[in-house]
Order: sequence, then C-alpha cells, then structure tokens
Amino acid sequence: MRTAFRVTVALRVAAALGLAGGLAACGPQKAIRAPCPSGQVCLEFGNGLDPVSLDPPKTTGVWEDRVMGEMLIGLTQDDAEGRPVPGMATSWETSPDGKVWTFHLRKAQWSDGVPVTAGDFVFGLRRLMDPATASQYAYLLFFIKNAEAVNAGKLPLTALGARAIDDRTLELTLDHPAPYLPEIAKHQTMYPAPQHVIEKWGDHWTDPGHYVANGPYKLVSWKLGDRITLKKNPLYWDAGSVCIDQINMYPTIDPIGAERRVRRGELDISTDIQSNRIAYLRRPDQMPAYVHVAPYLGVAYLVFNTHVPALADRRVRIALDMSVDRDFITGKLDRDGRAPAYTFVPPGVANYQTMTAPVWASWPLERRQAAARALLAEAGYGPGHPLKLEYKHSNAPESMLVSPAIQSDWKAVGVQITLAEEDGQIAYQDLRVRDFQIGTASWIADYDDATSFLGLMQSQTGAQNYGDYHNPAYDALLAKADNEPDAKVRAGYLEQAERIMLADATVAPISFVVSKNLVSPKVTGWIDNVTDWHRVQFMCIKK
Amino acid sequence: MSGLSLAPQLKRNAQALEGAAVKGRSLWDDARRRLFRNRAAVASMILLGLFLLAAIVGPWLTPDHFDTINKNDVWDPPLTNGHLLGTDSLGRDLLARVLVGLRVSLAIGVVATAVSLVIGVTWGATAGFLGGAVDELMMRFVDVLYTLPFIFFVILLMVTFGRHFLLIFLAIGCVEWLTMSRIVRGQTLSLKQKEFVEAARAAGLSTPAIIGRHIVPNLLGPVVVYATLTIPGVILLESFLSFLGMGVQEPLTSLGTLISNGAEEMDLAPWLLIFPSLVMVLTLAAFNFIGDGLRDAIDPKDR
Repeated sequence: MRTAFRVTVALRVAAALGLAGGLAACGPQKAIRAPCPSGQVCLEFGNGLDPVSLDPPKTTGVWEDRVMGEMLIGLTQDDAEGRPVPGMATSWETSPDGKVWTFHLRKAQWSDGVPVTAGDFVFGLRRLMDPATASQYAYLLFFIKNAEAVNAGKLPLTALGARAIDDRTLELTLDHPAPYLPEIAKHQTMYPAPQHVIEKWGDHWTDPGHYVANGPYKLVSWKLGDRITLKKNPLYWDAGSVCIDQINMYPTIDPIGAERRVRRGELDISTDIQSNRIAYLRRPDQMPAYVHVAPYLGVAYLVFNTHVPALADRRVRIALDMSVDRDFITGKLDRDGRAPAYTFVPPGVANYQTMTAPVWASWPLERRQAAARALLAEAGYGPGHPLKLEYKHSNAPESMLVSPAIQSDWKAVGVQITLAEEDGQIAYQDLRVRDFQIGTASWIADYDDATSFLGLMQSQTGAQNYGDYHNPAYDALLAKADNEPDAKVRAGYLEQAERIMLADATVAPISFVVSKNLVSPKVTGWIDNVTDWHRVQFMCIKK
Repeated sequence: MSGLSLAPQLKRNAQALEGAAVKGRSLWDDARRRLFRNRAAVASMILLGLFLLAAIVGPWLTPDHFDTINKNDVWDPPLTNGHLLGTDSLGRDLLARVLVGLRVSLAIGVVATAVSLVIGVTWGATAGFLGGAVDELMMRFVDVLYTLPFIFFVILLMVTFGRHFLLIFLAIGCVEWLTMSRIVRGQTLSLKQKEFVEAARAAGLSTPAIIGRHIVPNLLGPVVVYATLTIPGVILLESFLSFLGMGVQEPLTSLGTLISNGAEEMDLAPWLLIFPSLVMVLTLAAFNFIGDGLRDAIDPKDR
C-alpha cells in the first residue's frame, strides 16, 4: 500500500492565497477548531490527502483506507495495535490442505438497517476482480481460485472461488495455501460491498447520503479540499465501546503546516511529520509528547524503467543502484531513525530473514563509485559520452530533500540527471503508465509476509510493477513458494527470488521507512505499531 | 511647378527638425544632476552595482559550487567550517546559493522587464498614435489579456510545455507588458497633439518614423521609471511562483526559492531565511529608490 500523499498544486495555491488572506486579516489567530456539537467528543484528524474515491476497489492509498476503514469492516478488523482480530467473521476454519476457508459471520447490519450477509462479501470480491472495475489492487487476491483468469476476463465472475453457503457463512477456495489470509481479510480489497446500495445508485453509491457503513462510523459529508466528516454509527456491532462521536478528516497537504495546526490545537493528529524536524520537535521546549515515530514495514525505493534503452542495460542499473549513498540520506537528511536499505523486504517481516543484500552493500562509497564508473564504461558511457537521464520525483518535502542528493551521487559517477518534480499523485500516475525514466516510490506491507513486497515485481502484477520487471526465474520461484507448506523451505525460495531480483536491479531500495505521527497527548488509545493502523474507535479525548 | 520646388525645402526642414531633436540634451543633463543629488538613489545605485557584480562574478569565486553537497556540513550555522553564511539542509553552501539565486532573480527581473518593455512600448505607442478603431482594437486586446488569471496561465503553460527556466521569463514578460502598453498609449495620446509632432508631420515624415524618432524618445521618462519599478515586481512575482513550487528547478535556485525553503526551516536554521531575505529586501528597496529618484529627476512637475 502506498504511503505517499501529496500536494496538489492547486491546493497549494489555495493554501498560499489563504495564507495571504490570513495575513491581511492580521493579528495572531486563535486556534479555530471545527465546531463540535455540545456534549460530544470530536476528533480533528490530519489525513494527508483527499481520497481519490471511497469505493474500496478504486483506491490504493493508506490515506483512503484511513477514511474507509472507519466505516467498512472486513472479515477481520484491526485491533488497537493494527493486528487482525475477528470482525464481521467471528470464527473460521480451514480444510486440511489449507485451500478452503469457511468463515462464520456475526449478525450485523449496514447503517441503513439491512443485514450484512456473506453475499455482500462475494459481491465485493467479484466487483474487485471484475475487469470493468479495473482495480489496481486486484492482484493482491490472486491467490483466490480463478481470480487471475476472472480479472483477465477469461472466466465469468461466477467462477471466482468465493461462495455464500448461506447468509452467515462464506467459503473461499484458494489456489494455494495462504496462511496470511486473516491478515489480508482486513485489507481494503476485502471489504464487503453493500449490494442493495450499489445496485441502486451505481457509481454514486459513495456519495454522502447513499454510502452505508458496517463499521464504527458513517459518512456525513465530504467537502473536497476541506474535510470529510464521519459520525458514530449506532448500528455497528461494537458501538457501545466507541468513544469519539465525530471525526473530521482534513487533507493536510503540507506536513509543516499540519504541525503548526497541531501545535495550535486545531488538529489532534497529523499523520506525517517532516522527517528532519523530528529531532527539533522532540526538544523539551517543543512538543516531545506529540511525536510518535515507530518502525514500519515499508521500503522507499527508486524504480528504473526497463523500457528506456539505457536502463534496459543491467550494468547501467547496477551502477546507478550502487552509487547512491544511503547512509547520507538516512543519517543526515531524513534523520528520523530509518535504516538504509539494500534489500527490498524490510527486516522484521514474519518467517523471513533479510540476508540478500548485494555484496557491494558493505563496500565504502569510494569503491562503489569506482565500480559504478567501470560498469558504466563497460556499457559505453564515459566522460566523452555521458549518460543523461531524467529523474522524476514528487514535490513532497521529503523527496525534495533527498532528490538533489541522489542527483549529486550520480553526478559523481558521471551521470547527468535532470530533476523533474511533479505533484505527488501525478508522479504516481506517471509511474503507472510508465511515463518516466527513473522514478521514486514507497511500498508499505499489506500483510506481514515477504510476498507482500516481492509480489510487486511479479510479471502478473501489472500497473504497480512500475519498472515492468520481468524475469521467468523470479516468477517461478514465487510460484513455488506459494505452494510450499513448509515455512522454512518457503522462506528459502523467497530469499532466492529476492536475490535474483536485486541482482537485476530494476529497483534500488533506499531506506526502510518509519511511521511518523504527531498526536496530541489529549488523545488516548493511540498505540504505536508496525502496521501504522490506528483506528479511531479505540481512541478517546481527555477533557 | 511650385510643388516641385517645395520638396527640397520640406526635406531640409525635416532634417533641421531632427537635428534639433538630437541636440535637445539639456533636459537630460538637468535630470542627471537632480538624480545624483538624491542620496538614497545614489546609495541604491552603488549597492545594486555591487550586487550585480556579485551576482555575475560571485558564483565563480565561492569555494563551493552552488550544488556541491558537503556531506558532513548539514545545517551548519554561519561562520563554521568555512561557510560564511552557513549551509542548508543538504550541506550546500548558502553564500554560493544566495549568489546564484541573486543572479537568477536579477536575470529574470531584467529579461522579463526588457521583454515587457519591447512589447509594451511598441504596442502602446502604435495604438496611441494611430488612434481610432486600431487603438480601440489593440487596447481591448490588452483588456482581454488583463482578465487572464496569472497563476492559471502559468499552470497551463507548465502543464503544456513542462517546467522550463525560459517559461518563467515568458510567462512574466507576457503579463508585465500590459500595464506598460497602457502607460505608453496614454502618453502617446497627449504627445501626438504636441506642436513638434505636427511639425514633423507637416515636414512629411512617415508614421513609423514619427513614432520612432519623436514619440518614443519623449516617452523615455515615464518608461524608464516604470521599468525600474517593474524589475522588483517581476522578482517578487518569480518568488511567488517559487513559493508555490512552480519556480526554477532544483538544484538551481532563486531568491524566492531560497526564501520559501528557508521559511519552512526558520525555527531550525534561521540563517536560511535571514540571508536570502536580506538580499531580496535590499535589492527590491534599491530598485524602488532608484525608480523614485528617476521619477523625481525626470518629471519636473513632481517637484
């Protein structure tokens, strides 16, 4: 799941004009919290960016699920620490071969009073796989029987391995055992879809007034560029334990701006901190109690587009990969406690040992630069004929900080890079349509398993395999791992696959990211965790 | 037959008139004397001269190039490790960056103003002198361009042509000439009623020649003043664009970009805001003082 959220130019213009207006009005301004109905508890939440949609199969971002996940609950759901616990399903059992899962659903209602049925889950999965939906995330559930063929339009939707035995029993048939299924079952791709609403309203079912929820909150209003307001859903199965009555979620485009709003008390939570300000914010005279930085299962990386002739040459990619000084980037620029990355799968992923770093990872920078120059010379590039490429990055403060450093690292080995800064969402769009030479992205685990990362570079993945990495040996190893019941042997296959992928260097991992949140000490129930999921239903606000 | 004998006479008259126009320098001498008596303007000219010199030569003299990353000197305060003004969040020498930023900002200011000058003066003088329907048409065109929201115009340009240094010149120049053409047209309207234009016309000078030889030189006063005041306006406009992330592309920089980045880090590394702002303020103030001085010097009515 992608982390990046970012500034749209228009919003930034609006912000600047707003700033100018504010200055014109003049004088120090008081904290303006959004009005909260008396006697109620309201949470002001800086969510980073406006969702593209609230229709689960049409979303890919964490900021979208931060909204949707408050309203929709899958078979499992997050606990306060982001671990999967029974949600709509109260229990489940698997067949001995691990390929057939039977989920028993609890008696639950949508916010309009209609019962949530196993049919809603089947409908949701079919919508996700329907080629007409064109979900970019469909590949995540390709372990469901026939899913890939259905998604490619080769089989009808009814062929999908999902079946409602009765209203309260759901059966999923898989292609291969997937022990991580309970974890994916809370993911945005597996939310139930309210069939009665979607069939009535079509694409407009996500409009406020039409949207129904089976989770703790329901949608009240969505003012684009302003805020999304959610209110407590009294029909949620666990409504009694929900403390906060209303959530306002804001697109906080600029983390420093959001920081100021948190400082003024205008926001309770901001889901990002400008990384190089963390040390400063932790000073006793600043806001140390607000800063929450925690390990996160995610990696920030560079992508090389293999369709670009120069980058189709593996030697060039390796040269670029090895000449980036990760220690400088993580230690001196980001300064948020993140670790330099030489492998794609972060340390700490379940059943996996990260030991696949290339040999050059341990070399000093000078030696790496010399090797890179040699590789480039071998590929036909040198002082007389320098390699010229464009590096496209988002205009997020973080990549604005890091990109010139990467450019200068490559300049040191004789590669001339033009920086092209893009609005965050446009930068990702360019990656998806391959309109880039070198790009940058980050990837956050969808579930705690190495395949959540390695699956990204499989040939079948499609749009999110940005560099179009294609290696039959790699695909074969991942397929082998999917069908391997023994965890140790499976990990061996995955490690082998990662080693091949890193040696081909279509991606250059830069750092293992950390989660960064500013949380007012008044907010209780916030627990730092590796998934960085913090559902509001577990939070409350101290008076 | 008499018509024929008159022609050489007319030509001689025209030449005589032109000669007189070229010799009419005493007014400018006067203006210069008045300008040099204005202390603020003189001080500003000296300061600006120094800045100009620094912007042109400076970047070659600093020990670090403006995009050299010193990996061990991130966020050094001023006067440490040989960095006179300190370093930024990437360990780049601020002095080198301020000098390059000044160079870029001045270049944008001067070039965009020159563009606006050329288009604006030609357009305004032509419209004003020709008058009638042509004037009406040309000035309505200006009005239409005036209604174009600048920011959206720039965003459109960037989206269509991609981000490029020259686009900023173009965008700003395209907008700045409008006011210039209005001023010039107004002046022309009053100038063309003057006796010397009547005389030139009577002497048989062609319209382009009258515009070029008689109207434009007499417009010089207000135009120079307005141009001097346009440069700081353009520099500010570029800063505004940079502030919105639509200015020059990293690692190149301008004063506006430096200030924008500095503002984000002002509580951590105040020098990143202070020095570029100081240079910017001094530059803008100097241009404004010179512009004021020129106006006072050239326009005797203002005294």
